[in-house]
Amino acid sequence: MAVCVAVIGKDNSPKYIRCSDETAALQFHYKVHTSIDIIEEKLNTGNKMAADVRELFLGLLFSTEEHKIFGYATNTKIKFIVVLQSTNASLRDNEVRMIFRKLHSAYANAVCNPFYVPGDQIQSKGFDTAVMEIMGVS
Amino acid sequence: MSRTGARLDAKKVNSELFTLTYGALVTQLLKDYENVEDVNKQLERMGYNMGIRLIEDFLARTGSGRCYDFRDTAEKIQSGFKIFLGITPTITNWSPAGDAFSLCFETNPLTEFVELPDHCLNLKYCNILTGVLRGACEMVQMEVASWFLQDQLKNDSVTEIRVKFVKRLEDAIPAGED
Amino acid sequence: MKQQNVDTKTNLPDTGEADECLFEYLHAEMVNYVLSSKTNGKEGEEELSPLEWMGFGVGYRIMERLTREWARFKDELDTIKFICMDLWSSLYRKQIDNLRTNHQGVYVLHDNAFRLLTNIGAPDSTQYLREAPRLLAFTCGLLRGSLANLGIVSTVTAEIATLPSCKFHVQVQRV
Repeated sequence: MAVCVAVIGKDNSPKYIRCSDETAALQFHYKVHTSIDIIEEKLNTGNKMAADVRELFLGLLFSTEEHKIFGYATNTKIKFIVVLQSTNASLRDNEVRMIFRKLHSAYANAVCNPFYVPGDQIQSKGFDTAVMEIMGVS
Repeated sequence: MSRTGARLDAKKVNSELFTLTYGALVTQLLKDYENVEDVNKQLERMGYNMGIRLIEDFLARTGSGRCYDFRDTAEKIQSGFKIFLGITPTITNWSPAGDAFSLCFETNPLTEFVELPDHCLNLKYCNILTGVLRGACEMVQMEVASWFLQDQLKNDSVTEIRVKFVKRLEDAIPAGED
Repeated sequence: MKQQNVDTKTNLPDTGEADECLFEYLHAEMVNYVLSSKTNGKEGEEELSPLEWMGFGVGYRIMERLTREWARFKDELDTIKFICMDLWSSLYRKQIDNLRTNHQGVYVLHDNAFRLLTNIGAPDSTQYLREAPRLLAFTCGLLRGSLANLGIVSTVTAEIATLPSCKFHVQVQRV
């Protein structure tokens, strides 16, 4: 289960961050910011590497003793960052991909709410619910 | 050039185009009118204009004849929902006199993705539907009134539209409304 | 006896999908609404920007859904091709017939029979030709919004020579 989920806007500012343990929020925010730079780097690697990054899922960005941080960037220049516990049993590639697919689909729904103004912070019950599921909180 | 993506489902995309276009219209009206009641009215009026055209489509596609009674009308409205919105509302809560019934449904393409903000609680988001019913029925010489009793966007468990028979109209072409 | 329902559609399971014709009816109502609102009706040029703006919102939002299963676009041309082929055929039933570019940010999308123009007037009718811009404003916005969400800032205008054919001019703004 994920311990932190973040959505980063086109302007690289966070539009949504949710952590399972809010007391450790600061630590996660730091990880998220580091991830933004790594994603930017991955996406800016010129044409030579382009074939590698045509997939939206960007794989493992970096890991610490406790955590593994994965990234994903949509065609619409939105970045998703998910922090998983290193000890987590469900670290199989496919399962991580599934997490992002679910997140992406929930994000697309939130954007399609006519009352959501693109670029604003995401405040959506539907999106919250999806994130809670991803974090195994209900 | 390789097209690596999955093919898009045109029918679904078209439905979403309608959903999103309706959403854009509602938010535009909220911007244009100060009063939410006026937005509700405008949606009803636009629905009326759509209804008087949609009924032609409906009659052509179903080959329906005149309604025998109001129960018959209810069933035809039900199949209209099926044809145009892909949902089958349940017909329930008939009035003892048989002149009013409710259409209940859970989802509908208009409200897919919609989360109503707190400041819009007086908005009847789907009010275009009541206009469509009025317009369509008027074209087959029947005046009906309809309104929302429950609305899932406002946390009710279902959406319920009450439809009431008002009177039969003389055979005459109604003046278009703008 | 109840009348036999000849529409086979009613026997199929509920799809929860709106019929194609609804968009066309709704679009027609939106055009009427914008033309009849306060700012219009006076002499001078018609104020179509609310239609363009609504189209922008729709294009922006729908792109978020349509590109979910798509590999990352390689470049601008790749993106424009997606719009001409995949977006267009799912929204308007057919692909763009001809795409031209000067490779400097100008793209001309030519549709020989644009969906929202096929139902009006006789071909070559000049009266309808005058009204046609009203029917294209929404789609100009939709194009601009779609591109904007994919990171391409542009201006989009439409040009009609003979109904129901039309051209959309996309001018990409380089930063």
